[in-house]
Amino acid sequence: MDNDIAIDVEGVSKRFRLRHRGTPSLKSLVLDLFKGRSPAQELWALRDLTFAVRKGRTLGIIGANGAGKSTLLALLAGTMTPTTGRIETQGTVSSLLELGAGFHPDLTGRENVYLAGAIMGLSREQMRRRFDDILAFADIGRFIDEPVKHYSSGMYVRLGFAVAVEVNPDILLVDEVLAVGDVAFQKKCLRRMAEFREQRKTMLIISHDLHTIQSISDEILFLDHGLIKGMGAPQTVIDQYESFSLGQAGTGLRREWGTGEVLLKGAAFANDAGLATTRFAWGDAINIRLDYEVRQAVGPCVFGYAVSDEQGRLVCGSNTQIEGAVVPALAGKGTVDLRLSQLTLATGTYLFSFSVHSADHSANYHRLDHAYAVAVQAPRRFEGCCYLPSEWRFEAGRES
Amino acid sequence: MIRLIQSVAARRELLGILVVRTLKIRYKDSALGFLWTMLGPIFLILIYGLFLRLMRFPLSLTVLVTGIFVWQYLAMCMGDAAHAVIGNANLVKRASFPRLLLPLAMTLANLVNFLLSLVVVAGVLVVKHTHPGPLWLLPVAVLAQFVLCLGLGCLLSALNVFFRDVQHVTGVVTMAWFFLTPVLYDVIEMAGSSSLAALMPFYFLNPMAGILALYRAALLGQALPNTAWLAESLIMAGAIGWFGITVFQRLQARFADEL
Repeated sequence: MDNDIAIDVEGVSKRFRLRHRGTPSLKSLVLDLFKGRSPAQELWALRDLTFAVRKGRTLGIIGANGAGKSTLLALLAGTMTPTTGRIETQGTVSSLLELGAGFHPDLTGRENVYLAGAIMGLSREQMRRRFDDILAFADIGRFIDEPVKHYSSGMYVRLGFAVAVEVNPDILLVDEVLAVGDVAFQKKCLRRMAEFREQRKTMLIISHDLHTIQSISDEILFLDHGLIKGMGAPQTVIDQYESFSLGQAGTGLRREWGTGEVLLKGAAFANDAGLATTRFAWGDAINIRLDYEVRQAVGPCVFGYAVSDEQGRLVCGSNTQIEGAVVPALAGKGTVDLRLSQLTLATGTYLFSFSVHSADHSANYHRLDHAYAVAVQAPRRFEGCCYLPSEWRFEAGRES
Repeated sequence: MIRLIQSVAARRELLGILVVRTLKIRYKDSALGFLWTMLGPIFLILIYGLFLRLMRFPLSLTVLVTGIFVWQYLAMCMGDAAHAVIGNANLVKRASFPRLLLPLAMTLANLVNFLLSLVVVAGVLVVKHTHPGPLWLLPVAVLAQFVLCLGLGCLLSALNVFFRDVQHVTGVVTMAWFFLTPVLYDVIEMAGSSSLAALMPFYFLNPMAGILALYRAALLGQALPNTAWLAESLIMAGAIGWFGITVFQRLQARFADEL
């Protein structure tokens, strides 16, 4: 193996045998034998992965749930064995697969720290030298001598992270750690990971937080159903991932229905520069052009739109009737333009629905529910998914 | 096998911590701690002692005490084996270390318990003015039993990952095995009875028969049985140890998938 390579993965596949119900028993095994039925179904969590990570680089791994990210990390950590292929790592590997997962509830924090150290192959003496740093990072004070079952989940996670980081491995595997803990702790973790990079250590990170993973990674690996869809520069791969997941978004919620007198033939999204796109940023305008076709003469019509989040929960919506827009008598084919002038949604994927119905709401001519996915990037922080312009004002110095 | 021993030796620090952890958890929050694990065998001795006395069964207390305590080591290992791996699912899924450490730590923790309980046995022997036999046989017996327990621990803990029935089957098997082992009777007297003598070579295929004979020879000064029979038992103990470890090593790669 090249001396500069920290992780070398070659043709690795991982197969799981799925059993129909729970843990197998001798009974089900015997029954299966008699019925001649194959005892297990197969699931290929990873298929023929080949890639390498150079020393000192940080590789981000992204992909939808079930893409095989965690399986890959488990293989690299050595807890699972690949079905085919070969994995080589240089140096000690420490994994943050599940923070504090190896802790025993009845042992004290201190005992668990030494146990975790021993599991990662450190001697008691090495652990003793690191103990103060671990205690300082975890910031749990006198609780270190309490059984960890009395810890809050935050303390648990802090201690888990502190141990994994302070053992100072050559390769650190991080699985979705940034999703837990409060903001202050997350910042601390990110700082520690930045220090790690400066020390030319190798890191593999799984996260759903694309913004963070983009800022921390040198390279990104995009997995989908156990296959490598892309690997390369963070911006490029994340763009690829976002367009891919937009294509997948809302597929289960999509619904098209109506009586068909007027048909919506499609919607085109564009920004103010006139470029067709489904990705927008905070404050952007969204220009939507709807194509319609009248199949049968109808009376006064109403066009409407709605924005939902990825789960299909309504965020907001409106229509020509509410807005007082005049809809001319429709005939043949035509277009309707809708402009949403300022985007104040939080970062995420949103689903657009469109409708055309009669003015008295008695007939739905055509509805496209959750039919178009749009990605929004918002640097601004606020609660919820929709921002209202807010101003705060104080008057000080008034005497009672 | 040599590479396996090396890999285990390299992680002896972890092994030590696992053994201590097992003992600590067993005795946590209990004032009497170690005494509780003694109470089981002590009650067994009281019950069987009383019963056998009532039945006018010719069995001395010292023979019974050695039998019960020695048996207890095996029974504890059989009982704990089921959970040696699945009870540490978190560790298995999270960290990579020789999986063999798990049943090994379990067997060692029970060995510590057993060696401590031998103090109680020694007390009984002193009270009863028993003269011990060749004491060098004692470590031989302990080693043989340890190998046997480790093999069974490996086998059962590995199989239980795939078939949870194992833990239920174990209880029944242990019970039957108890009566096939000369815990409540004296194998030397049995061998003397002509009707049973022909069965003896088969009887000593049970490794616990020979091992217990070794213990009683060392502690009570009993005569050793026929050397060929004894060898039979010891070879069986070694074979079970080897078989259990081999099966365990074959299966351990798939533990993380199943847990």
